[in-house]
Amino acid sequence: MSIFIRNYKPGPLATLYKANIWRLNSTTAESSVKKDEDEEEFRVLDILKKRDKQQKRIVRRTDIQPDRADRMTENQNWGNVWPGPKTFHPSSVPLPLRQGYVPAGQAPPAKKANAELMKIPNFLHLTPPVIKSQCESLKQFCTEWPTLLNSEEAIEKHYPVEVITSDYCHASPSIRNPLARVVTLRIKLSTLDLDKHARDKFIRLVGDRYDSSTDLVTITADRCPMRAQNLDYVNYLLTACYHEAWNVEEWEKDKTEDDMEYYNWDNNASKKSVVNWYLAKRNEQRDLTEDEYRSYDISVIPNAEGYKSAVSSLMNDGESEETVNNYGKAVRKLLGLPEKMVV
Amino acid sequence: MTSSLLKLASSTTGLTSIVAKCSPVLVSQLHTSAPLCRVVSGKYRITKKRDRPLTYEMANPPHYIAHRKSWNSWNTSSLKDGLRRSETVVEDEFIRRFMTGTWHGLVCSEVIIKRQFNHIRVAAIIRRAVSPTKMYFLLGYSEELLANWLQCPVTLELQTVESFKDVVFKYI
Repeated sequence: MSIFIRNYKPGPLATLYKANIWRLNSTTAESSVKKDEDEEEFRVLDILKKRDKQQKRIVRRTDIQPDRADRMTENQNWGNVWPGPKTFHPSSVPLPLRQGYVPAGQAPPAKKANAELMKIPNFLHLTPPVIKSQCESLKQFCTEWPTLLNSEEAIEKHYPVEVITSDYCHASPSIRNPLARVVTLRIKLSTLDLDKHARDKFIRLVGDRYDSSTDLVTITADRCPMRAQNLDYVNYLLTACYHEAWNVEEWEKDKTEDDMEYYNWDNNASKKSVVNWYLAKRNEQRDLTEDEYRSYDISVIPNAEGYKSAVSSLMNDGESEETVNNYGKAVRKLLGLPEKMVV
Repeated sequence: MTSSLLKLASSTTGLTSIVAKCSPVLVSQLHTSAPLCRVVSGKYRITKKRDRPLTYEMANPPHYIAHRKSWNSWNTSSLKDGLRRSETVVEDEFIRRFMTGTWHGLVCSEVIIKRQFNHIRVAAIIRRAVSPTKMYFLLGYSEELLANWLQCPVTLELQTVESFKDVVFKYI
């Protein structure tokens, strides 16, 4: 199209006329005309291609502001300069820091362009004055500690149940941690309202969750996916065990001496023989039933209490030099024999 | 690791180990395979003219990590019983590639990635070769895209230097 116009270039008038005609027919006509006019100037043969050479790019450096640290006053509020956790930035920290390992005699790399300083987590946002002011502002949300709970014993007395859970903080998009579901409940067995039978049954029910040395029952639950469910579950377990301990089943009456978990002197042959011996000593002839033997008050027998504890400890704590000696002494006292002579 | 508030009673420590034994998902597996190319990886050869520039990071070989230089990724996944190990590593690698590609020829140091809870802090040393306007654009662009992909707030904490020569530690 442009070639066609160039061929008919007798005068500006004709060009305009033609252009107008073409403009009716095509949208590209206008640009062709302009190009045409530019080319009217004298063309120079450009052998070295100087015109095509790209203009050299001028590197314009913007003014670099001076360091913020240089303009800082000594009495400024540092908390405003560094309000939160942030990667180290040398121009805002007015400290002559250096970090890096160098051979002896050289200075470590300075704070500028030092990647090591950017790597380590800093606590520039937790300066003592900032912590103080934050604590001051948090005080309004705190309540006073109850005055009666002034010691460990008081806390233990009023809050015997201890629930232990773990919270996990970790760098991840999710705040969930499967281990946070584990709930441990701890309670001193003596704080529960249990009688002799119920206590024995409770210990049998909880099994190895009871530690006799510390008197603590520890119940742990991790079977449910949520902590609240596990908490409910441990509470349920404690409640269920407690009430079950108080139940006396029909078959529990069949418990014989062989089933006893500890040696009870009152139920055993040792008491029977002591009572018989005592009655024979006083020339009383009485036929006692089993229950009467059991409920016989041994405080009337001189030194029988010592004998009872000696036999019980020998049977319960096992045979050792100490228990055997104690037993010997108790027997001598009970029968009124002289003390053992140390040769 | 940055803030591991562990309210763990002494009695439950035994329990966690039991839990870890029971469920293989929660256990840290110990890898005993020897590292490949232990002798040459992460080390630079001395040139004849002694004109190869090294940054501090490059000047210290990998076995000096935690002795002379620290880690480039800070997160809790690498701790014992840490969660999302593989995901964290892949994400970190992705962030590194994205940063070096987006800030093309401008990143003068390693890309440091620190994670705090769900917040990812990306730190790097950048050359002042582009106009501040472009730099601000790239900053917002990288933060926005990374936050969208990783579904976490991402903060770019950059330090600028005049040229690459500012970060050179020594020539070998």
